[in-house]
Amino acid sequence: MASQQAEHDRVSGFRRVVDGPAAEWFGLAARLGLAVVWGWAGLAKVADPAEAAQAVRAYEILPESLVKPVGWGLPFLELALAVLLVLGLGTRVVAVISAALLLLFIAGISSVWARGISIDCGCFGGGGAVSDSQTKYVQEILRDTGFLLLSAWLIFRPRTKLSVDAWLAA
Amino acid sequence: MSDKNQEGKRSARERMLEERAEQEARAKRKKKLVVGGAVVAVIAAAVVIGVVVQNQRSKPETPTAAPAGTIGDKNLIIPVGAANAPSTLTVYEDPRCPACGAFERTFSPTIDQLEDAGKVFVNYHIVSFIDRSLGGNGSKYGANALGCAQNAGHFRDYHDVLYRNQPGETEDTFGTKQTLIDLGKQVPGLDNAEFRSCVDTNRFGGWVSAVQQDFDKSGFKSTPTVLLNGQPIYPKKGDEQISTDNLVKWVDEANQGKQLGTPGSHGQSPAPTSTAAEPNTSPTP
Repeated sequence: MASQQAEHDRVSGFRRVVDGPAAEWFGLAARLGLAVVWGWAGLAKVADPAEAAQAVRAYEILPESLVKPVGWGLPFLELALAVLLVLGLGTRVVAVISAALLLLFIAGISSVWARGISIDCGCFGGGGAVSDSQTKYVQEILRDTGFLLLSAWLIFRPRTKLSVDAWLAA
Repeated sequence: MSDKNQEGKRSARERMLEERAEQEARAKRKKKLVVGGAVVAVIAAAVVIGVVVQNQRSKPETPTAAPAGTIGDKNLIIPVGAANAPSTLTVYEDPRCPACGAFERTFSPTIDQLEDAGKVFVNYHIVSFIDRSLGGNGSKYGANALGCAQNAGHFRDYHDVLYRNQPGETEDTFGTKQTLIDLGKQVPGLDNAEFRSCVDTNRFGGWVSAVQQDFDKSGFKSTPTVLLNGQPIYPKKGDEQISTDNLVKWVDEANQGKQLGTPGSHGQSPAPTSTAAEPNTSPTP
């Protein structure tokens, strides 16, 4: 008890910010921000299955047999993540999956860049080959890194305001 | 003795507390597992449903209906000229692609002449990927209208009219079906109820998608892709830049000592006698 009390006294201002209600509000913002990203990304890829498949094929990483399942399934994975983030259900699990997915995307874009292939990442629809001058690999990787930071926050601070998780825990 | 008794009591109480704490922790862990499991199940279900739904929604790679006279194992290719011509010119074009427009306005009189002389058999792949990056329907509807013109036996003329009236790449003029129908009036014999309804109902939409999916898998990345007997000649053949003169020269070289083909009429107007290209007014790539 005594040692716990002492530790409690040593809580720094930083810890209070990271663990306090302000942090839970920030967590809510991170959750909703990420939900918008996944929702937008998913919806943009649903309309044309052939286009979604081609966006995957253009990376020249997956064998032809996996191009369609990935191109068709990925947008629905993204939409499921968006819905779960809006609800705040299983926030940590969803954040872990989000981060893993974003790391995969960053790896894919880096690989394409390193191999000198010119494509649009197809992150928010579109995709496929573009001319050499129209690649935006730096922006795409930076953008995904930003989303990765939001996911990382939610992995370490999954307790957020207005979430199903909080309601279930009460 | 009383000490011992108290000790026993305390430990009993502690044990009870410990047990309760453990129970609570276990319940919490269980709850987390249930929530985590449910979340993973929801995501897995979404992906499976997604793959099934998209599989049903996607258009087949082998079209159910193709324009009359198309060739190739899935009828994806529109042929122009003599099938027995000694050389084959393969052209991949998107109706909205400005570089294709520039290519056509420069080379179509020459290509028409080569066709009519029985020197080349031209295989057109009308692709439609510009809509993906710029939005709109101009590539798809334009490709369908070209399919309709092929179906009516007027592909070559309508194809030339379309490229002469090509809008800027970002303008989706061909996304308006009426525009495509109106352009059909410039081709003698094409403007009839059959053609209008074919364009209006996007009759060969499935075929257009199949042609595009074939292009997706081809490994060619841009349009126009132009091959003479399988060898790329646009923008260069080896070190030599393409020009109308060079194109004729390359074809003649390839045809040396071979019998020329016998072109039939495909309802198209004869090639112009001059190889003079159209003025290139549209923006070049």
